[in-house]
Amino acid sequence: MGPRQNKLAFWFLMPSALVLLGVVAYPFFFNVWISLTNWNMFHFRDPEFIGATHYLRLFSEPDFYRIFGKTLAWTVINLIFHFTLGLGAALLLNQKLPGRNLYRALLILPWAMPQYISALTWRGMFNVEYGAVNILLSKVGIDAVPWFSSEFWAFMAPVITNIWLGFPFIMVIALGGLQSIPEELYEAARIDGAGPVRRFFNITLPMLKPVLMPALVLGTIWTFNNLNVIWLVTDQGLPADKTHILVTYVYKAAFMYYRYGYAAAFSVFIFLVLVFIVKGYNRAAQEEAY
Amino acid sequence: MSLRGTIVSAVLLMALVLTASCGRVDRSRSVIIWEQMDPKEQEFFDIHVAEFQRRNPQYADFTIERVHYRTEDLQTQFQTAALAYGGPSMVYGPADKIGPYSIMGLLMPVEELLPQSEIDRFEPETLPILDDHVWGLPDHVGNHLTLVANLDLVAEIATDTDQWLTQLAQATIDEDGDGRPEQYGLVFNLLEPFWLVPWLGGFGGWVMDDASAPTLDSTAMVGALEFLNDLKKSRVVPLECDYPLADTIFKEGRAAYIINGPWSWEGYREAGINVGLAPMPKVSATGIWPAPMTSAKCYSVNRYLDPETHEVTAALLSYLTGTEVQIALAKGLSVMPGDKEASRNPDILNDPALLASQAQIEKGRLMPIVPEMRAIWDAMRPAYQSVMNGELEPEDAARQMQDRAATMIERMRE
Repeated sequence: MGPRQNKLAFWFLMPSALVLLGVVAYPFFFNVWISLTNWNMFHFRDPEFIGATHYLRLFSEPDFYRIFGKTLAWTVINLIFHFTLGLGAALLLNQKLPGRNLYRALLILPWAMPQYISALTWRGMFNVEYGAVNILLSKVGIDAVPWFSSEFWAFMAPVITNIWLGFPFIMVIALGGLQSIPEELYEAARIDGAGPVRRFFNITLPMLKPVLMPALVLGTIWTFNNLNVIWLVTDQGLPADKTHILVTYVYKAAFMYYRYGYAAAFSVFIFLVLVFIVKGYNRAAQEEAY
Repeated sequence: MSLRGTIVSAVLLMALVLTASCGRVDRSRSVIIWEQMDPKEQEFFDIHVAEFQRRNPQYADFTIERVHYRTEDLQTQFQTAALAYGGPSMVYGPADKIGPYSIMGLLMPVEELLPQSEIDRFEPETLPILDDHVWGLPDHVGNHLTLVANLDLVAEIATDTDQWLTQLAQATIDEDGDGRPEQYGLVFNLLEPFWLVPWLGGFGGWVMDDASAPTLDSTAMVGALEFLNDLKKSRVVPLECDYPLADTIFKEGRAAYIINGPWSWEGYREAGINVGLAPMPKVSATGIWPAPMTSAKCYSVNRYLDPETHEVTAALLSYLTGTEVQIALAKGLSVMPGDKEASRNPDILNDPALLASQAQIEKGRLMPIVPEMRAIWDAMRPAYQSVMNGELEPEDAARQMQDRAATMIERMRE
């Protein structure tokens, strides 16, 4: 490629590079700067540099470790169920079933519905006395579950909601991947005497990895940063502010207590955790490729 | 596509992106109001704005736009927009958000926009005043919790808690004995401390002192928590009763009483409930009436209002909070006016619903608009919920509220 083409490519890339600088790089560095200042309600127009004070406070608060642990549990549990249910549903839908298109449409519904509406609907369904979930449980002889009075169940309520909301994403991705696997591979495996389990682990799963890995990375980031479901299902952290993950805690600090500097420090920490996770995925994917 | 064609397409695309900004609202020709009104209030607002425009042809060049937000979204959006020296001309909402806005420097004091005579039209206790400035003008006051009875289920509204508790027990009916009553004596939002505060007042306490320091660790708080916890234990209220559940049960005619504010009463009437309003019953143990928090709903002006819209914004603010509009709102929404002249209007003085509302307001206390209130709400909420879940004793909860509020206030100032 000659210098003339290079120049042209540069000009073509310039608009998107400028947009990325404006909407990604600038807010990111601005956020880092905020985290080093005392920016809050009382210093809204005149924040001062205070160094790493917010970071030191962050790591010295017992609440931080509890919330971080809960965030990790929230992410891992959701991803396990998203992955297994999504992949399972995709494998079923990839078979020649009667009414397959109808099932596919029904299973995609949770993902297609606005998250806000789903979360509020689930919250109503978890009401201890009038919620559909407890009424159904009572029909099979199970005692009412105190969904929002107990810390454990209040955590499980958004987990169940988010599993329902999130598995169709993996299902859609996996289904696309499954349909691109050549049938000849399975035929050859069958001739070689490979059973369904062997075919799954030796053909299906390796062939799906290139599509599932990016989906898992995205799923991890979305779940880790999922404010809506926790916030809405638990009505801002029921019971007694015990059901927070990092992002809901940050939201509260920034927009209810006006502690912008502190919230920004928290956000930087969240960013670093996600970078670490994504790096891990990338390394795993690269090792697989070699 | 040839190279020339590609370049032309790229240039056209960029031109399209750049000219898209031309569709933005011209702030020098628009009055934009961000609000968190309920649907009825929105209807009235639109009618009144249309009337303002009809009466003021000199402002025909200006557009008046209403943008709706939920309460929390309004707060976050306004903070973000004002930070960039933008945002609406005015924000409309409960006065309790005005304290933080004013401290952050996002609002223009009303006296910079309107003459003192306009401010003097209001009852002083209805105005959001902080640091000797008026930060908004109300179109109505109240926003207070009141006892609402279903008169088909209770013959006479109780006036003290002894009488009330007997009524609640009688009105709670579990016909099939499954432990889930088909009809309840009382429904209310058990999760929010806004519903706890009236009883704190009824036991002789309050949330903060004159220096805005929390006063939550008190015998009054313990008394109020014990009282509400006993209500729950006696099963006269549903378990885990939140606002939507309470509202639904009452609208279905399956509760004798609900505790709710003026925004809800019309909905109950429309649902066919034979509504009776009265102040919450006097606490028999103390002889003190419960004191719900009262507050105004106000229009506040953006500090960064475009200078070219000062005049039209001032005129609109004056009209929307004027006597005529306040009387119309009072009649249409069963809310109390903040304007002195409107309060003396015979139609308002003779309206039974408004009289009952007024009786409750007189027993209530104005919600502090200082930002420390945010910390106090958030300190009360978890401890209160823990008491209602049976995880915390009232004495420990009161202590926890106090400690948490003090810590949060300290952190807000860091």
